[in-house]
Amino acid sequence: MVVETITDGGILYGLLAVGAGLATGLAGIGAGVGEQGIGAAVVGVVAEEPGFLGKGLFLMLLPETLIIFGLAVSLILMFAWTPFA
Amino acid sequence: MLRPVEMSRVVVAGSNKVIEPVIEKLHELNLLHVVNYSGTDDAFEMGKPLGTASEYAEKLIKLRSIERYLNISDKMPDKQFPESQVLSQMDGILGSVGDDVIATAERISEIDNEVKIKQDQAKALKPLAGLPLDLELLYGYNSLAPFVGTVASPVEADVSKVSYVNEVFTASSGGTNAVAVFVPAEKAGDVSGVLAEHGFSEISVPRGLTGSIAGAISTLESDSKRLEGEKVPLQKKLNDIKAQHEDLTLAIDEYLSIQSQKAESPLRFASTDNAFMIDGWLPTDQYETLKRELESAAGGRVQVEKLDGSEADKLVETGEDIPTKMNNPSIVRPYELITRLFAIPEYKEFDPTLLIFVFFPLMFGLILGDVAYGLIIFIVMFMLKRKFRTPGWASLINIVIIASIWAIIFGFIFGEIFGPLGLWDYIFSGSHHVGLLGTVADPHHVGIDFGSGFYGSLGRLGPEIGGFAGGMFPMYRLATASVLMLIGVSIFIGVIHTGIGSVLGVKNELAYGEKRHAYFEKLPVLLFQVFFGLGLLGLIAGGLTHPLVLLSALVIIISIVMMVKGPEGVMGATHIPFFVSNLISYLRLLAIGLASVGVAFAANQLAFYVLMPMLSGGGHEGFTTIAIVVGIVVLIMVHFINLLLGILSPFMHPLRLHYVEMFTKFYSGHGGGVEYSPFGRVRRFLRD
Repeated sequence: MVVETITDGGILYGLLAVGAGLATGLAGIGAGVGEQGIGAAVVGVVAEEPGFLGKGLFLMLLPETLIIFGLAVSLILMFAWTPFA
Repeated sequence: MLRPVEMSRVVVAGSNKVIEPVIEKLHELNLLHVVNYSGTDDAFEMGKPLGTASEYAEKLIKLRSIERYLNISDKMPDKQFPESQVLSQMDGILGSVGDDVIATAERISEIDNEVKIKQDQAKALKPLAGLPLDLELLYGYNSLAPFVGTVASPVEADVSKVSYVNEVFTASSGGTNAVAVFVPAEKAGDVSGVLAEHGFSEISVPRGLTGSIAGAISTLESDSKRLEGEKVPLQKKLNDIKAQHEDLTLAIDEYLSIQSQKAESPLRFASTDNAFMIDGWLPTDQYETLKRELESAAGGRVQVEKLDGSEADKLVETGEDIPTKMNNPSIVRPYELITRLFAIPEYKEFDPTLLIFVFFPLMFGLILGDVAYGLIIFIVMFMLKRKFRTPGWASLINIVIIASIWAIIFGFIFGEIFGPLGLWDYIFSGSHHVGLLGTVADPHHVGIDFGSGFYGSLGRLGPEIGGFAGGMFPMYRLATASVLMLIGVSIFIGVIHTGIGSVLGVKNELAYGEKRHAYFEKLPVLLFQVFFGLGLLGLIAGGLTHPLVLLSALVIIISIVMMVKGPEGVMGATHIPFFVSNLISYLRLLAIGLASVGVAFAANQLAFYVLMPMLSGGGHEGFTTIAIVVGIVVLIMVHFINLLLGILSPFMHPLRLHYVEMFTKFYSGHGGGVEYSPFGRVRRFLRD
């Protein structure tokens, strides 16, 4: 039977992968939600005053760090933390 | 280089008799950043424009309208003209050629109008085409009311009910029913009601046409075709004139702009009945040139004086901006674009362009890191360089060219030519790399192949440690060991990058005389971030009791105490999460790269290990022709998309690291500066 071949380690590894995926994915949604409002506002301002582009970009890119946090957690889960060593 | 050019405040004063040669000379020197006279001093009033101002302005307006008709817009010059030629040909262009252009362009727009009217009429008449009536019979009655239009259902019977006397003509074509109903004028109201019930919609018959409707339509159509044909030679004529005179027109534009700029310049000066006074800034080392040249131009009847430091400082305190002239060697200069996009540095601030020049391409390369992608970008940009010659585009292209060289260098370090499993193995090692993607369950065997192939013994830096081979190059980025290593490298770059930002921040605050801000706001950030990085290093090397960890913890606590003691008080310490996230943010250097490597890897895997074996019957050798063709098509498509993304994200993300992580430490804390723009103009189409 197939069921017998699934080990505890395998389940743990699977859960680890799911967790890593959730960490990056949910963080991505968060960053997206944050950026949508700022992005719309920046486009509006830049249409009025093109000189604001640099600062607008700055503001728009601020929430982007969120996804990097999620990614950092994923990387640690997938690469740095080895419960099977 | 990190500082803008040193500026001096000068005053030029002289008799009104010499104002013209002085303006002439100032404009030619292109040195003095004029401070506009604000009109606050009772002794002076605003200057009056020279007499020639309105003449030049009028000519300029006419020239601009000619340019608009000819569709000429600013571009880089192909030809240059001496001023004498411009002067001799200006009247021709503004006169006969210009009149010709305007007349032709107006004729074209007339034709466009006529064609539009005729096409609209033809379109309106189309549904009526089948009616057996001539056009002139459809309107112009005194005692009859005509209804012409389309209906949804037959109307004869109902019309007869309300008006016994009637005449109804119908025709149907292509699903629409045209109808022309004639009834006595007094029945018009009733009939119109009946018609409305049948979905009548009126068509207004264009007046002035005669003959059968179908005939009229074909006449209208042939007329508009004839008119369109008439337009072609006119447009060709305009194109010919443009091709012949484009550069000359732009040269005249430049000449007239210069003249009108000079003629209107006294509006920016302070003046009395007999004298004028010009305030301005210029690079200190140019002061002697300005003084000498102006005095010789005005025959000594002008006074040029440099204000000393304290007087200039007083003016700055009252709100005058010292203009900033960034001072960078030519290879760094393209990167001023990135600085400018954010803000012009203030005169007393650091100009971050040099730092951008060092870090930006490095980060770009670290993210993209592929020999082939780098080469393609390099070649494409080199070709675009000839096409896009305006300063903005030229800077952008130069930025990407420098960055693509770094991408090639990192490509060699990572061992990527079109991604892992790409051409690297074919060119350098001769055997396919096996076991590139290890599993977490077996981390110690991943990366054992590091160091094989191209780098030979060079690839093995150091002995085998644990299960690791100890070799580094080429470090396949998808392998666990190099991901871990790149995490460290990214954070390390972050510590240096933000560290430099903080050091400049401290010096900046000192330059503004804000000691408290310097030592209790900027310095603790530097300590915090550097020792946060060192602490992490200690943790990895020796765990919690490593001396480096203990030292770092101590310094971090001290830095937090300093923040709390700082100008913002306890609020200062609330920024700590921001400083930590600053460093973690540098992980994007690894992450964005991994994403694009992942796509390239998937493409290669799909083509070489799935599609091509599948299409040639399962084997890993001896692919059939069709398999190779399909494989190559897939490869080109995916790599092309990946390359496009590979230009965009490695550009945007380092940009963010500079704007958010680095600039916040020192840049524009005191508001943006004013760019040095001297009175004068760089001649592009004119030559001496």
